[in-house]
Amino acid sequence: MSLIRYSTRRVLQAVPVLLGVVAITFALINAAPGNPVDIMLGPSPNQAAVETLKAKYGLDQPIHIRFWKYLVNLVQLDMGRSIYYDAPVTAKIAQRLPATLLLMGSSFAFAIAAAVPLGVVSAQRRNKPTDHLTRVVSLVGVSTPSFWIGLVLILVFSFHLGVLPATNLVMPWAPPSAVAGASTRLGVLVVAGEHLLLPMLSLGTLQMAAITRIERSSMLEVLSDDYVRLARAYGVKERTILRKHAFRNAQLPVITIIGLQLTTAIGGAVLTETVFEINGMGRLIVSSISRQDFPLVMGTTLVFAFVFVVGVILTDISYAYVDPRVSYGDQE
Amino acid sequence: MSDPLLRVDDLQVQFFTEDGVVRAVDGISFDVHEGELVGLVGESGAGKSVAVSAIMRLIESPGKIVGGRIEFDGETLVEVETGPDGDPYRTEATMPDGELRERIRGREIAIIFQDPMESLNPVFTVGGQLREFIELNRDFSEREAREEAVSMLREVGIPEPEARYGDYPHQFSGGMRQRVLIAMALACEPSLIIADEPTTALDVTVEAQILDLVEDLQDRYGTSFVWVTHDMGVVAEICDRVNVMYLGEIVEQAPVDDLFYETKHPYTAALLDSVPRPDQTVEELNPIKGVMPEAIDPPSGCRFHTRCPEAREACTTTNPDCREVGFGDPPHRAACIKHDAFDAAYSGSPPLDAAAQQGFDVSLSGGETDD
Ligand code: SF4
Repeated sequence: MSLIRYSTRRVLQAVPVLLGVVAITFALINAAPGNPVDIMLGPSPNQAAVETLKAKYGLDQPIHIRFWKYLVNLVQLDMGRSIYYDAPVTAKIAQRLPATLLLMGSSFAFAIAAAVPLGVVSAQRRNKPTDHLTRVVSLVGVSTPSFWIGLVLILVFSFHLGVLPATNLVMPWAPPSAVAGASTRLGVLVVAGEHLLLPMLSLGTLQMAAITRIERSSMLEVLSDDYVRLARAYGVKERTILRKHAFRNAQLPVITIIGLQLTTAIGGAVLTETVFEINGMGRLIVSSISRQDFPLVMGTTLVFAFVFVVGVILTDISYAYVDPRVSYGDQE
Repeated sequence: MSDPLLRVDDLQVQFFTEDGVVRAVDGISFDVHEGELVGLVGESGAGKSVAVSAIMRLIESPGKIVGGRIEFDGETLVEVETGPDGDPYRTEATMPDGELRERIRGREIAIIFQDPMESLNPVFTVGGQLREFIELNRDFSEREAREEAVSMLREVGIPEPEARYGDYPHQFSGGMRQRVLIAMALACEPSLIIADEPTTALDVTVEAQILDLVEDLQDRYGTSFVWVTHDMGVVAEICDRVNVMYLGEIVEQAPVDDLFYETKHPYTAALLDSVPRPDQTVEELNPIKGVMPEAIDPPSGCRFHTRCPEAREACTTTNPDCREVGFGDPPHRAACIKHDAFDAAYSGSPPLDAAAQQGFDVSLSGGETDD
């Protein structure tokens, strides 16, 4: 029960955090020099046209009024209209978000699925060849920038071998008719997988390497803890010790790292989308910043912040799930 | 006397560190008879914990048993000999790993570690951990093991054991956790329990309760104990026989009364002198001078000669073995050449200048003199 109480509390605590994020983003954007009206009207604009446009986008009102209006609209899931696209910000985001979520989600899934067993095996075979190999791979992994990995992958698999596409993503849920080279549901999945593979690897390698390192050192530490020694002294098999007595405890630092990796993943997504020409949130935020499309910048930033906050909450809840001490205070 | 339950014979454990080889346990021998509570006492770093870990072969890398034999109930848990190439190897007689794990660990020999805070896994319930080990070591079904766990918790004085069964370790106090660990050891019905400083981390009143509990349970279950401690008070209270360890060696071995009233080794005497007693004032307390040298670079001759108030020239050259020096059964042994059993020209040898031997330790203690 205490876990549910803890989770609820954690979610509620996120509300003021998100409010703070909105306020800071809003203030930052307004503090930045230049404004969209100047850009739209070019140099030496007609004063009347400026006033009209400012009124249209509500830029003539004082900042606190604008902020309040923005909040009221935001609660109703209205983020205003993009100046550049002349379309609702939410519509634009709804169009771009799936690709980014797919990219980030799959690269995390890949990273965790590869890193956890690698780290465990590496710890178990400490200082044996498997361990050395894993350590070299993860060291290379954490020290190589993701865009460079992306470029190399493209060069090898798309350019030289020609086996995998280098641009764009295909959504696995797209109808077969909309996907080139696929006539069935299964066909769509295959094509989607082919498109996803390289971007996923290029974004996921860093996470994979970072998680492997933590998994290994955390397992090693737990394996020398007293309760593990005690289990050994009571005749528990090494396999069971690894699987049961050590594994769960060792995941605590791993969960923390996964949560932290979310920030790097967001940054990495921007680069990966650029390298692979994926129309996702990352490219949207970059282009809207250079166009000074205020409402769109606000919207995309908030969505990233939201994704991040959700990630942190999930991290905390999994932490509490693994370690009963965390939610202890939340008992009746 | 009948054959001992546990016989440790010339056990040697070394740690192969980057700075060199540490002879943590350097040829110790002792035994434990059925129903006996045998103490292993000494300062920290003397090698007590390493010695008892070796019994169940729980020494972890870079440590290694490099010599000696451990017999338990007529079976050889480990026997290490040195091959012609100078490398130690385990003989044929040594019990295979799997068998040791299945038949000995937990079932025949159980262990209680020093720190009750670290010995229970924080992410599992106390009852669950207890149940798992009972299930494993007594071939019980899950339900039987659970019932046994609850009744064992009651036995060691945990109030409302059914309710506490599902609690996590952090919901127990240190003393309560140590009771749980005692329950764990007893519930597996071993013939020998190794207690590695089990009360050191607890405060004095809780320690007293735990000692009472152990005495009471030992009377009822007849389990043998090896009790590791650095506290002579604990030794006096519960041990039948005592082994005093200094720098990886046993320097005195005697029944508890003989050890206290007919002390044969200067180190034991110094240890006893440093314990507060009701018949002594604080001014009369006499802490042992200096610190124990590192096991990586032990002094030549008798290892205690750098701190021994009775050291003489002869002590720097001979390293005495632990020999019978008194009459009686069980025998009283000591490793000090001042006894006649050694015939080592101690009496004719000039005394060592203890002050010069101790170097900076004396200057730290200021104006105190040594005699
Ligand atoms: S042998 Fe010498 S130095 Fe060692 S304990 Fe005896 S008297 Fe002291």
